[in-house]
This record gives sequence, C-alpha cells and structure tokens, in this order.
Amino acid sequence: MNQAAKVQEAKGPLVWLDMDQKALDDAYDQFVYAPNRDQVHKRNMFNSDRVRARLGAPKRHAYGSKPMEQFDLFATGKPNAPINVFIHGGAWRTRAVKDYAFMAEAYVRAGAHWIGLDFDGVEGTNGDLLPMADQVRRGVAWVYNNAKSFGGDPSRIYVSGQSSGAHLTGCVATTDWKDYGVPNDIVKGALCCSGMYDLKPVRLSKRSDYVAFTDESEEKLSSQRRLDRLNCPVIVAYGTFETPEFQRQNREFAAAVKAAGKPVTLLVGEGYNHFEMAEMIGNPLSLLGVAMLEQMKLV
Amino acid sequence: MNVHPGQAARAKGPLVFLDMDQQALDDAYDQEVYAPNRALIVERRKTASGRARAILGMPKRAAYGRSEHEELDIFDCGKAGAPVNVFVHGGAWRRNTAADYALVAEPLVRAGAHSVIIDFINVDQASGNLFPMYEQVGRALAWVYTNAKTFGGDRDRIHISAHSSGSHLSGVVLTRGWREENLPADFCKGAVLLSGMYDLAPVALSKRSAYVKFTDDMVTKLSGQRHLDGLNTPLILGYGTCETPEFQRQSRDFAAAVRAAGKPVELIEGLAYNHFELLETLANPYGLMGRAMLRQMKLVT
Repeated sequence: MNQAAKVQEAKGPLVWLDMDQKALDDAYDQFVYAPNRDQVHKRNMFNSDRVRARLGAPKRHAYGSKPMEQFDLFATGKPNAPINVFIHGGAWRTRAVKDYAFMAEAYVRAGAHWIGLDFDGVEGTNGDLLPMADQVRRGVAWVYNNAKSFGGDPSRIYVSGQSSGAHLTGCVATTDWKDYGVPNDIVKGALCCSGMYDLKPVRLSKRSDYVAFTDESEEKLSSQRRLDRLNCPVIVAYGTFETPEFQRQNREFAAAVKAAGKPVTLLVGEGYNHFEMAEMIGNPLSLLGVAMLEQMKLV
Repeated sequence: MNVHPGQAARAKGPLVFLDMDQQALDDAYDQEVYAPNRALIVERRKTASGRARAILGMPKRAAYGRSEHEELDIFDCGKAGAPVNVFVHGGAWRRNTAADYALVAEPLVRAGAHSVIIDFINVDQASGNLFPMYEQVGRALAWVYTNAKTFGGDRDRIHISAHSSGSHLSGVVLTRGWREENLPADFCKGAVLLSGMYDLAPVALSKRSAYVKFTDDMVTKLSGQRHLDGLNTPLILGYGTCETPEFQRQSRDFAAAVRAAGKPVELIEGLAYNHFELLETLANPYGLMGRAMLRQMKLVT
C-alpha cells in the first residue's frame, strides 16, 4: 500500500493529534491509502450495469423539486417490504447513485426494497454541507410518507451509507424529525461504513479547499456531538487499510455511541481499503452484507 | 493502479514469445507484478474462509487417494441428491490448500449444492513435475463421481470451479475423456474456470521454468487447448482486465479455440479486476463469477 503519509521528511507543527498538516491532508485523501480507487470505481459501474440487466431498470422518483432530488428504486416482489435507503459517498462531491446499483441485488433478493438517493454534491451548494444533509433527510422523510405507494413498509426503514455518505447517514440517524413533520423513530437501523462523525479534523484538512465548513455546519453535522438524538441501532465499519483518520473516526464514533448507552456494532474489515469496504455491502455473505441483512431481520 | 512494468521504458531484448522479450514474458507470468495487492487479498481470503467455516461448520474430510495429499473437504448443504461443485485451487502450482478457499463454499451451500474443495500435491513436493498434480485432480473428480451418493451428492450434476493454476489443471482433466477410469466422458456437467492457462508453451519459456521442470511431453499433454476433442463439458471462462497480458490472452485464446471446435463456451471479461480480485467474486452469489457459477448449475436463473 501507498505509505506516502509515512515517508515524509521533517515533520511540521502538529495540527491534529499527532499529525502535521501533510499527514492530516493525506489522512483525508483516500487516494493516498487506496491507490486502486479508480479501478474499484470502474468495476462498481460495470457491476451496476449487470445488476440493472438482471433486475431491470429502477423506478425513478422525485423526493423534492431540485433536479438532483430523485432516487432509484429497485423494488422487491413482496408487498409491505422493508426498505434500505442508501446514501452514496464521494467526498461530498457530486456523484450518480446509479453507479452504486451493484449493492441493490443482495437486498432485493432478500426481500427488501433498495433505494439509492441522488442529492447535490458540494459543487451544487457552494461548498455548504447543510443543504446536503437537509436533502438526504427530506429523501428519507419522503420514503416514510410515501412508502405504501410503492409497496414499502414505513415502519421498517433502514439507512446505509459509505464514506461521506456514512457521514450523512450519521446526520440522518441523529435528525430531529419534528422539523420534517414525521415521527422521531422513522429510521429503524443504520449502517455507517467508513464515515466521518466529527468534522473538526476534516475542516482542518485540505478538504476545506472545496468544502465551505462553518462553525454552524461543523457543530450541526458532527453526529458524534448529537448522540442524544440517536434512536436506532447503528452498525459502524471500517477497513484496516483505510487512512488513520478514517479508522479512528469510526472507532471513536462506535465508542461514543456505546458510552451513550445506545446499541452499536463495530465491524472491522481486515485487509480492506476504503473503496473495497463499499464493495462488501453488495455481498450478502460478507461481513457487512450479513450485518445489514441481520439488522433488517432478513436472515 | 496497476503498474505494467513490461510496458515501461527500457531497452527491449530479443523476442521470446509473441511481442514479448524475456523480461516482459517473465512479468506476464508473475501475478505480483500486475497485482501489487496480492498479499493483502490472500490475507482477506483466509479471513473470509475462517468466517465461512464458522458459519457453515467444519467440513467433512475424505481421502480420495492413498497419499497424504489426496484429501478433500466437503461442505454439505444438508440435502440428499443435491448437485456438487468441486473447486480446484490455484497458487502458481506451488501454494495454498483447500482450507484457504472455504469462502467459495458458502454461496453454493446456501443455494442448495454441496461444495467439495480438494487438496492435492504441489509442484515443489512433486519435484517440479506437474503430472502428479494433474493425476490427483483427475482422481479427486473420479472419486466424487463414484462416491457422490455417500455424502448426498447427485453424481449426474457434478460441476467444477477453479482458479489460476487450478484452472490449468482442470482444463487438462476436462479434456482427458475418462476412458482409463471407465467413467462417462461427460460426467462433469459444467466448469467455471477463472484466470487459467491452457497452453503451456509460453509458460515453459518464462521464469516459471525455474521451479517447474517442463518437458516437451508435459507441455504437449498438459495443454488443455491441444486436446479439445476430449472436451465434453460446457465451459465458462473468466479473466480480469487488470490481469497480466498473458493471463488475459490465455483465456481469450482458449475460449476462441473451444468455440472453433464447435463446443459450448462463454467468456466473461471482468472489467477492472485483477487475478486475485476476480476470485473473490466467486464467493458472492451476486458477484461476477459467483453468479455465473450458480447460473451454470441452474441454481439461479
């Protein structure tokens, strides 16, 4: 693996824990630790095509009025079925959820609907993360309010996300749903795979070059600081080949949830990097696939 | 990203095979050159195999021959008269054991098939000779056919899956005809061969000859592609686009030769998979090769 973070010469002043600026920047740059990033993305698209060929094209629904406020629905054959809402990653940049359809089949064949949310990236929000969190929350609320229209069971909604999508999943799981006019327990379980839950170190990193962090967004969107609102079991996962910060963020989030006396499972993917962890979500026999299906009571 | 040192700027030596000089050919038969994450994937394959054993329980162990190497693991799906998949592992003919591959059993067992994973001698134990490996793999398959009933298997629904040098050995075994054993020529109903070698001529020219004692006789007899008249099993061949040029070509050329011989073959090109990553997809019922295997066995549509 690429050890760029460790081979630097003189260490600069520490900016976060034992890291200088370069080390912190590297710890928030997946490519430094996962040199096969583009390769994995390519096969995610390839496998997504194959899943669409087998399951048929998803139904497309709008959950809001903006062009990106839509989602892909891969419906299962059963009525009143549980629902998995997936929130994609991509360092908060604009991505298309169609490239994550490869995950859908494991859930659809197990008897759940799989919904992949599209939403704006920071390019569409002037770098502000708050509107993105609002979008995905509205997406989940829409699914709750309209589940019956597509054969979904509104009392069995689960949320999963990877990377910056796991950050947003953490936000969704700690939402004050009164603001959205729905009950506070609409999310029955969450999978946070390789996410960020405290934005302070992220804000100190070079991600500030394209994300316009503010005191408000840091405070409101650091789910680790909002655990009083968490009211569903959480599965937190990371791979041992992720960056030091992505390993720490997930370990510490799990520890904080546990310390708050709330149900949490920490899963460690031995030998997996950031992008390979996401691939596991689409394998019903993998560490993450089994955990998610168990949480949804599908196995 | 994969590095392709064979294509890096350096003075090219005399060509030894196709457009390759010695260095390029050696690299094309050295997986690590094209799959720098090999050690990592080997580790997670072992971890996944441990998980599979924890979930499925320990396999039954049976001997299919007299030597210490000739044993196999049976993961029983619990159903009588169920189809059987026999997995032949790879490892450049010199590495790995059946226990390292328990991960391939779980999708089969869950889909209602028995999974048999075979051990066999490696080339170092066989003093550089591939014939004992080939003979043992053949004997294991014959044992499975003859003894299927004893573990609830349907001998008329025996399939093979294999990876790398295991695909090489399977390719040869599948073209042998089974006359010596007096078994039906078509008792293997299908095979999914990942990332194999089907003609040994270029391999014999590569640095693999430092540990495999290739002979003309071995190259002739153990090149599956040269014995297609004996093939009676529909094949699915898979390779990844991040594999070495030779490992891509071998599967493509073999598929073309089987097709030209008028026999059933499907070629699956795994976009952006390397040699070791492709094998992981076999352990996923919705993965590229796992799906193909279950489909060939008619366990899914």
